[in-house]
Amino acid sequence: MSKKKIKKLITKFILNLFFISIIFITLIPIFYAISVSLSETNSLVSSEFSLFHLDLSYNNYLELFKNYDIGLWFINSTILAVATLVFALGISIPAAYGFSRIKFKGRNSIFKTLILLNAFPTILSMFAIWRIMSTGPVVLVNTRIGLVIIYTGTMAIFGIMNMKGYFDTVPNEIEEAAKIDGASDFQVITKVLLPLAKPSIIVTGMMILIYVWNEYIFSITFMTGEENFTLAAGLYSLQANETSGSWPIFAAAALLTSIPVLIIFLLAQKHMVSGLTVGGVKA
Amino acid sequence: MKKEQSRIKPYIFITPALFFIGLIILFPILYTFYISFTNMSIYHWFNFEFHGLNNYVKALFELDSGFITALLFTCLWTVVNMGLQLIIAFFIASLLNHKLLRFRGIYKTLLILPWAIPGYVSILLWKTGMFNTEFGLLNQWMNDLGFESVRWLNKDVIAFVSVTVVNLWLALPFMIVIMDGALQSIDKSYYEAADMESATILDKAFKITIPLIKPVIAPAVIITIFTTFKQFDVIYLLTLQPGAQTGANLHTIITYAYENAFITSNYGYSSAISTIIFIILVSTTLIWNRSRRGVAHE
Repeated sequence: MSKKKIKKLITKFILNLFFISIIFITLIPIFYAISVSLSETNSLVSSEFSLFHLDLSYNNYLELFKNYDIGLWFINSTILAVATLVFALGISIPAAYGFSRIKFKGRNSIFKTLILLNAFPTILSMFAIWRIMSTGPVVLVNTRIGLVIIYTGTMAIFGIMNMKGYFDTVPNEIEEAAKIDGASDFQVITKVLLPLAKPSIIVTGMMILIYVWNEYIFSITFMTGEENFTLAAGLYSLQANETSGSWPIFAAAALLTSIPVLIIFLLAQKHMVSGLTVGGVKA
Repeated sequence: MKKEQSRIKPYIFITPALFFIGLIILFPILYTFYISFTNMSIYHWFNFEFHGLNNYVKALFELDSGFITALLFTCLWTVVNMGLQLIIAFFIASLLNHKLLRFRGIYKTLLILPWAIPGYVSILLWKTGMFNTEFGLLNQWMNDLGFESVRWLNKDVIAFVSVTVVNLWLALPFMIVIMDGALQSIDKSYYEAADMESATILDKAFKITIPLIKPVIAPAVIITIFTTFKQFDVIYLLTLQPGAQTGANLHTIITYAYENAFITSNYGYSSAISTIIFIILVSTTLIWNRSRRGVAHE
C-alpha cells in the first residue's frame, strides 16, 4: 500500500470515529430515556441503571394507558392542533393572497407593522390574554376554543409572512389568464394559486401543527381540569423530581409524545429548508 | 359598482387574519403598555391606580430591582451561546463536507435529530434524565468515578453551564443545517486554486470559507440571535418551575418579566419590563432591516 493510501484510510477512520462518537454523545439523553422506559421496574430506588440492559418490558407504557389518560391527552392535543391548522390556514391564505396580489391603500404599512408586532414574545402577552379571557364577556379560560384562538392569532403572522413570500415568487400571468377566462377570485385562489404554492402551504401547515404540539406554557396555564390536559400538560404533571413521580413513566410518555413530530420531521426534512427559506422567515 | 367592490375586496381578504392578530397580538401589547403605568397586582386586581412612570424608574434606575442584572445576563447568555454555536456548527459542518466522508446523509440526520423532539420534552428529559441529583445519569457517572454527586442546577455558575449545554443541544441542529447548506454552496474550484498555491487549512478557512459563507448564513444567525435573546423555555423549565425552583438565580429578561407577572403577581411592574423588552426588540429589528437594505443597495 502506498503512503498516500494509508493516510487516506486513517483520515477516513478518524472522521467516522469522530461522527460516531459525537452522535452517540448527542443522543445519550434519548438512549437513556428509551432504556429507562423499557425497564422492568418503574421505581428508581437505587442508581443501578445502566444505559443498556436486557430485561426489556413495556410495563411502563401499559401503565401510561391504564393509570393515566395519555390517550385522552393525545386526543386533546390532536383536536387543538387540527383546529388551529384549519383556522390559521383559513385566515392566513386569503390574507397572504391579499398582501401578495392586490395593491391597496396601507398594504405596505400594515405588512411592516405585522412584522414588527411579531417581535413581541407571545409569552409576555400571556397576562393580558389571561385577563381578557378570564374577565371578558365570554370566559374562554379552560376551554379548547380559547386555546385555539390564542394559537391561531400567534401563528397567523408567521403564516402570512411565509406564504406571502412564496406567493410573490409564483408568476402572476397564469392567474391573469384565468381571470380573463372569467374565473372568480375564489376559483383563482383554489384552482390556480394553491396548487402552485403547495410546498409553502404544506410547510406552513406543518409548522403550525408542530407549534401546537410543542406548545406547553399556554396549555398548562389556561387548561386546569385534568379532562382538558394536552400531552404537554400531562407530561408536565408527570415530571419526576427527587421526591415524587416516576422517571420511567415520564420517559415513556415523553417518547410517545415525540413520535408524531419525529415522523413529520423525517418525512419533511427535504422540504423543510426550501419551504422556509423562500418565505424568508422562521417560526 | 365594480370599482367600489374592488376597493373593499382586499380588506375582505385580510380582515379575518387581522381580527385574530388584533385580538391575540396587538391588543395584549397595547393593554400591557397601559397597565405598565399602573400599580396593578394581586392586591389591586380591579382597583389599580395610575402611578406614572414609577415602574419604569424602578426597572431602569433601581439597581437592586433585578432588571438591569437580567438584561446584562441576557446579553452574556446571547453572546456565549451564539459564539459556541457558530464555532461548533462550523467545525461539524466542515467535517460533514470532508471529501473522504461517506455516510454524510446518515450522520447529518442523526445529528439533527434533537431538532425533531418537542423542545419542552427535551428540556424535561435533560432535567430528569441527566441532571437529577439522585438518579440522573451525570451523577451516576460521577459516583461510578468516585466523585460526590453534583447539584447541576443549584448554583449560578454550574447552572449556567448546564443550561447552556441544553440550549446548545437544542439549537445546534438548526445551525448545522444552515452551515452545511452554506458550505455546499461554495464553488469547489476556489479550493483547487488554493491547493495549487499550497495554502494551509487555516488559510482556506479564513480567506475562502468564512468570507463566502458569511452572507449566506447571516439571516439565520440574526434570527438565532433573536431567539437566543428571547429564550425562556430552557431556563424556566430547568431552574424556575413553580414549586421546583432549584435556587440558581439565572434570569433572562423574559423569565424576569414572567416571574414578576405570574409568580410574584406584580403585573404593573412586569408590564413595564415587557414594554421595555418590546422597545429593545423593535428597535433592533428596525436597525437590522435598515442595514440589510443598505447592503442590498450597494
